[in-house]
Amino acid sequence: MRPIKIVHLYPERMSIYGDYGNIIALSKRMEWRGIKNIVENIEAGVSIPKDADLLFIGGGQDKGQVIVAEDLASKAKQIKDFVEAGGPLLAVCGGYQLLGEYFISSEYGQLQGTGLFNVVSKGTSTRMIGNIVVHSEKFGELIGFENHSGSTEYIGKAQPLGVVKRGYGNNPDDKLEGIIYRNAIGTYMHGSFLPKNPRVCDWLIAKAIAKSSQSIQLKTLSNTLENRARASALKRP
Amino acid sequence: MLSDTIELMRSLLAILAAKTAFRINRLTGTGGTSLPGVIAQKIDRDILQKLVNNNFPRGIIVVTGTNGKTTTTKMIADILEANAVSYVHNRTGSNMEGGLIASMAMESNIAGKVSAEVGIFEVDEAFVPKICRAIKPDILLVNNLFRDQLDRYGELDRIAKNFRDLIEELDSTQLVLNADDPLVASLGYELENKKKVTYFGIGDYIGPKLAHDRTADSIFDPFTQEKLYYTQQYFSHMGKYRGKSGAFRRPKPDYQANNLKQSGLTIEFNINNSNQLVKLNIPGIFNVYNSMAAYSTIKVALNFEDDLIIKAISGASAAFGRSEVLNYNGREVLLLLIKNPTGLNQVIQTYLLSENDRLLVFIINDNYADGRDISWLWDSALEDLSKYKGKIMVGGSRADDMALRLKYAGKKDVLSEPNEELLLKLILKHTTKRSKIFILPTYTAMLSVRGKIVASDEVLKEYWQ
Repeated sequence: MRPIKIVHLYPERMSIYGDYGNIIALSKRMEWRGIKNIVENIEAGVSIPKDADLLFIGGGQDKGQVIVAEDLASKAKQIKDFVEAGGPLLAVCGGYQLLGEYFISSEYGQLQGTGLFNVVSKGTSTRMIGNIVVHSEKFGELIGFENHSGSTEYIGKAQPLGVVKRGYGNNPDDKLEGIIYRNAIGTYMHGSFLPKNPRVCDWLIAKAIAKSSQSIQLKTLSNTLENRARASALKRP
Repeated sequence: MLSDTIELMRSLLAILAAKTAFRINRLTGTGGTSLPGVIAQKIDRDILQKLVNNNFPRGIIVVTGTNGKTTTTKMIADILEANAVSYVHNRTGSNMEGGLIASMAMESNIAGKVSAEVGIFEVDEAFVPKICRAIKPDILLVNNLFRDQLDRYGELDRIAKNFRDLIEELDSTQLVLNADDPLVASLGYELENKKKVTYFGIGDYIGPKLAHDRTADSIFDPFTQEKLYYTQQYFSHMGKYRGKSGAFRRPKPDYQANNLKQSGLTIEFNINNSNQLVKLNIPGIFNVYNSMAAYSTIKVALNFEDDLIIKAISGASAAFGRSEVLNYNGREVLLLLIKNPTGLNQVIQTYLLSENDRLLVFIINDNYADGRDISWLWDSALEDLSKYKGKIMVGGSRADDMALRLKYAGKKDVLSEPNEELLLKLILKHTTKRSKIFILPTYTAMLSVRGKIVASDEVLKEYWQ
C-alpha cells in the first residue's frame, strides 16, 4: 500500500493559529486505522508534488499572505486540476480567501486569488471573533472559533458549507459560512476545525484514499472525547 | 488662572477618587485591580501622564514583550531593592492603562507626588503605544514577541508596526532590545545614529530541545521577506540568524549570556565571558532572557557595577504564579502559568522533559483574560510529552478540549474534571504527602487555583498552631 500524501501548503507563513491541529487530526485518524500517511510541507517557490492525495492551506499574517498570493499564481492551475479530478482540499481562513477570485487587503490592496472558489473577500474594520456553530446538510453541526476581519461573498454559483447558527461566518450579513466545491472545502472555522469535527475529517480522508486509487474501508473510531469537546464548546458563550 | 485651578482640582479629585475606590475594593473585595485607575481616568483624562511625569528623578522604565514581563519587572525591582534605590512598580500584573494609574495613585500623595526615584512599569503589548506616548519613558525594554491570544492582540506584524511608529516619535527614549528575536531586533535596525539602542542575547545553548516546536513566526527578514538563515535556533524564532540578500542580521549584543548550564531547577551562565557566574533559582532559557533583559536595563538606566546586579538576580525568586512553589496539603505544587504556545513549549522544555513522573495537571479556561480561542493548544509541542510517565489530569472550562488535544498527542487515560473544587480533591486522591505536582493553568485558572491552594495551606497552618 502506498502511503497517503497530505500536502501542507506554506506551513511557515500560513499556520498562524491552530492550523497544525488539522494536519494532526488527518494524520492521526489515518494512523489509528492503520493507514500509512506522510505530511509534506510545501513552501513558496516549490511546486506541489504530483502524487499529492490531499491539500491543506491555513491562515497567515497579512504580510505573509502577500508573498503567498504571488506564489499561488504559479500553483493555481495545478490546484484547480487537482480538485477537478476529485482531490480533497481544506482551506481555512486566509487560505480560503486566497483560493477565491481575489482578496482586497486594507493594507496591501488587491491580492489575486486562484479562482478555485467562487468567492471574493475584502478586509473590513469589523473583527468577527468568537465561537461559531454552523449547520451543514452534509456534515450536521459544525463547531469552531472564528477570528477574521475579511468579509467574503459568493459570486456566481456556489454551495455554502452551511448555515450559521451562532457567530458570523462569511460576513456579518447573510448567515452563511464557507464553501464546498467538488471535494474542496473553504471555511473560516478554526478551533482547530478538524479535531472537533471528525465527520469532516473522515470525509476528507475517504476522498484522499479514493484519490490515491486505493480501496480501503474506513474503520469506525471512538469519538467519545471528540463529542465531549463539542458538547462543552457548545456551552461556552 | 481659573482654568489652571480647575485643572489642578481635577487631578486632585481623580487621585482622591482612585484612593477611595481602592479602599472600597479592599473592604468589600469587589472590583478589579484596575477599577480605581479607570475611575481616576474618567475624572482626569491626562491623569497617568501627570502622575508619572512629575516624578522619578532617576528614570522611568517600561517593560514589555509577550512572555516574561512580570518576571523581568520583578528582577529589575529586586536589583533596585538590593541597592537601596526606591521605586514604584505595578506589582500585581495590572499592565493596562487602568492598572498603571491605580498603582501610581496608591503610591502617591494627594498632590500626585511619590518619593520613589525610579518608576518601573510592566505594560501589555497592546497598550505600549498609548501608554508610552503619555508617559515618555526613559527606557523601553522589549523582551520578545511571540504569537499570543490572537483574539486580543491581533497579528505580530501589526504589533511590531505600532511599535515602530511609536519609536519614531519618542526622541529621548533609549531602547533595550532582544537581539535573538528577529522582529524585536528589527525595531532598532538602522536607528543607532538617531537614538541609543542596547541589545542583549544568548551566545549558545546546548540543553534539551523540542522535536515539535511549531511556534517560530518571525523567521523572515522583516525588510526583504526572505527566509532568515539560522546558525542556531534555541526555541521558537529565537537564536542566531542572518538575512540572505539584505543587510539585516542579528545585531551584536552589548550584553551576552554564555556557557549556560542547567541542572535540576537552577541555571548558571556568565555575562560577556566574565568570570562572575549568574546562578538563577528559576530555570529555563526564557529566564536567562528575562535576567539579561533586567541586567541590560539596569546597566543603561543606572550603570551599577556587575556584582551589585548579579547578586540580586541570582537571588531572584519566581513571580506570582510563574514557577511558583506552593504547599497543598503536604504536596509540593509547582505552579506554571501558560498563556500561549511558546510559553507552554518552554514549560515542557524546561520542566516536563526531565521531571517526567509527577502528576501533571492542565487547567484551561477560555475567559477573556485567557483568550477566548483555545486553538493555540494545537500549536503547542504536546507530542514531546510522549515519554512522560506521570498521571495527567485536565480541568477548567475547556478541560474536554485539552483532553482531546492530549489524545491526538498520544496520551491515553487522561482524567478530566472541569469543576475546580472537584479537581483539587481528585489531585489529593491521586497523590500522597510529599508528592510533587505540576499545575499548568491559564491566567484566570491560575488566579483561582492559586487562591484555593494558598487558602487551604493557611487553614492547615491555623489548625496546627
